[in-house]
Amino acid sequence: MTGRAVRLALAGAVVLGSCAALAALSLVPYTAEPGDRAVVRLAWRTRGERVRACRRLTADELARLPQHMRQEEVCERRILPYRLRVDVDGARVVDDLVRAGGAREDRPLFVFRDLAVTPGTHHLQVTFEREGTLGAPGPEEREEGEDVDATEAGRRARETPARLELDGPVVLVSRQIVLVTYDDERRRLLLAPSAGAP
Amino acid sequence: MRRFLARADALMNGLYGWRYNPLYHSGALVIALLVVLLVTGIYLLFFYRLGAPYASVAALTAQPWSGRWIRGLHRYASDAAVVAALVHALRVYAQGRSWGPRTLAWVTGLILLFVVFVSGWTGYVMVWDVQGQVLATEGARLFDVLPIFSEPISRAFVGERPIPGAFFFLNLFAHIAFPIGLGLVVWLHVSRVARPGLLPPRPLMWGIIGLLCLLAVAWPVPMGPAADLFRLPGRAPYDIFYSFWLPLARALPAGVTWGLFAVVTLVLVLVPRWTRPAAERRPPPSVVDEDLCSGCEQCYLDCPYEAIAMIARPGEPGGGGVGGVGGAGGAEAGGRSALVAHVNPEACVSCGICAGSCAPMGVGPPGRTGREQLVAVRAFVAAWCLRPGAGVPDAVVIACDRGAGGIAQSGEFAGAPVWPITCAGNLHTSVIELLIRAGVGGVLVVSCPPRDCWSREGPKWLEQRVYHDREAELQPRVDRRRVRLAHAGVAERPVVADALRRLREEVARLGVTVREGDADLQRECDTEEAAR
Repeated sequence: MTGRAVRLALAGAVVLGSCAALAALSLVPYTAEPGDRAVVRLAWRTRGERVRACRRLTADELARLPQHMRQEEVCERRILPYRLRVDVDGARVVDDLVRAGGAREDRPLFVFRDLAVTPGTHHLQVTFEREGTLGAPGPEEREEGEDVDATEAGRRARETPARLELDGPVVLVSRQIVLVTYDDERRRLLLAPSAGAP
Repeated sequence: MRRFLARADALMNGLYGWRYNPLYHSGALVIALLVVLLVTGIYLLFFYRLGAPYASVAALTAQPWSGRWIRGLHRYASDAAVVAALVHALRVYAQGRSWGPRTLAWVTGLILLFVVFVSGWTGYVMVWDVQGQVLATEGARLFDVLPIFSEPISRAFVGERPIPGAFFFLNLFAHIAFPIGLGLVVWLHVSRVARPGLLPPRPLMWGIIGLLCLLAVAWPVPMGPAADLFRLPGRAPYDIFYSFWLPLARALPAGVTWGLFAVVTLVLVLVPRWTRPAAERRPPPSVVDEDLCSGCEQCYLDCPYEAIAMIARPGEPGGGGVGGVGGAGGAEAGGRSALVAHVNPEACVSCGICAGSCAPMGVGPPGRTGREQLVAVRAFVAAWCLRPGAGVPDAVVIACDRGAGGIAQSGEFAGAPVWPITCAGNLHTSVIELLIRAGVGGVLVVSCPPRDCWSREGPKWLEQRVYHDREAELQPRVDRRRVRLAHAGVAERPVVADALRRLREEVARLGVTVREGDADLQRECDTEEAAR
């Protein structure tokens, strides 16, 4: 084999090797979630229950404010936190306080949690319970001329119940994800349809 | 790292020649591959359906003639673009070309790489297979810890309702908008260089595109399993060039991942800062001797970094210093040109190419102007003559510091004295003339391979000055047969040896050169001998 032939062969081998490496690295087998397990996914969003704490400012406090900001009554609004508890087969796996989003905790409540479980049938008990007490609705939350009781009733109807519960068996096959979510219409927790109702 | 690159360069030069060494053209290859991505991307767009992303890509992949290989080409070109960009960045870093006036190119290069990366990310999400799903959910998890969205993005992927069409629309928009922004960043990337080489030589460019086409046919890109929000993502083929971060990111809290990203970004952005030599070791920018400047504009034309402007000569009517922008020509005023060269020190990388371009030797970095080169080469020959038994050499090698087989600082190579120079483009042709007229048999100038010149255009301008009468040209009275130019990387000493052997053969054929009285090195040697 002449030197030129060797060089050509080597040049071809480098080209082929580079192409093969490029293709191989472009298609690397990878398992993002290894293992034989299943997941119970808790994911929902609720408006929660708004609480107000109002107080009248003192004359000194009012004097310190710019003239255009001198409001006699100031109200702090926030959404009450909820306690999330999850029991799988009688064992408590989650016991967390879920606070509302936003720096002032006045955004909706979000729950998003994955619980790894072994495939098979499990007894699942999820409770989502309000913590704290409600305040009285302020006058600025009503439309002008609107009845206080009617507003309160509408508000109550829209907001999340004080306690949500899901209790029952759930069947999971390997690598399946079942979703526990909140149905805003029916105002209850339920399993996503594709997961199969308990 | 520099040694590793030098060996890789030498191997590639040996196999493909320096003209088509892909490592030298890595930056231009990125641009060429981005054009391929643009063309194939526009084609693929016609078949993509926002309402059925996976099904539309699967249908396209099922078409062997008009779909599968084009999708494969799009993917492999995007991978090759990442490889080429990384090679380019690595070379620039290893060669210490990332600081000073080149900082803008470094930083915009990082932005380009980031934009390519984000474009690839959104491209994989578009397919909406398992890889796309994992990239999307992981991205959502990362963004959810940032206080920029009112609601967690991850909620879109929990399966409580179908993925909103707006998500795929936004993703597609990002996949198109980011590459459009690339054009602007590429312009910024090359904005400080003159005559940027945006595309590689055609044989190399078409060769690589052809290879990628063949690869797409021979090794088609398969469809991964479709995304399923109610199944844990299983084994699937992932593109390591765009998904390399997934295993680490999935194992770490989102905040830690962002912290790592911030640290890596900071380190990369600060490369120009911590690779910059200490002030006393930094090569000084060129200066202009306005008394010598004839206003010919050659340095302004030759500067590879657009660091030289022609301005009105200070003190002349209408003059006043920096601010006047030079055009062609420059009327004579009182025997002196109306225009004079002005170097912007902020843009000058001290390559010294202006020194080689200046016939009156009035510009260049301090210590490396044409005049100073002549003084230095005389001293160099005088020092050579001090060696026992040394006479006028049959050949002198002028070697670039950066390449030339790494012989520049050796003093001697195969019995020939070696005179180092910072860049072949810095060499004033008068130095060659001086050596030949003084009795040296031949002069071999060894530069870096042209597309690997650290000063971008040194070998090109030198070749034109020696053989094509470009200012400051080698005078016609110099016998060109006694001058040889060669290109060699730092690990290519045999190339230098071969060029020197050929030069010596030529010199032997031509016989002894006639020494001229005003530049007689034998006399210099005799003087040194007597002094000793």
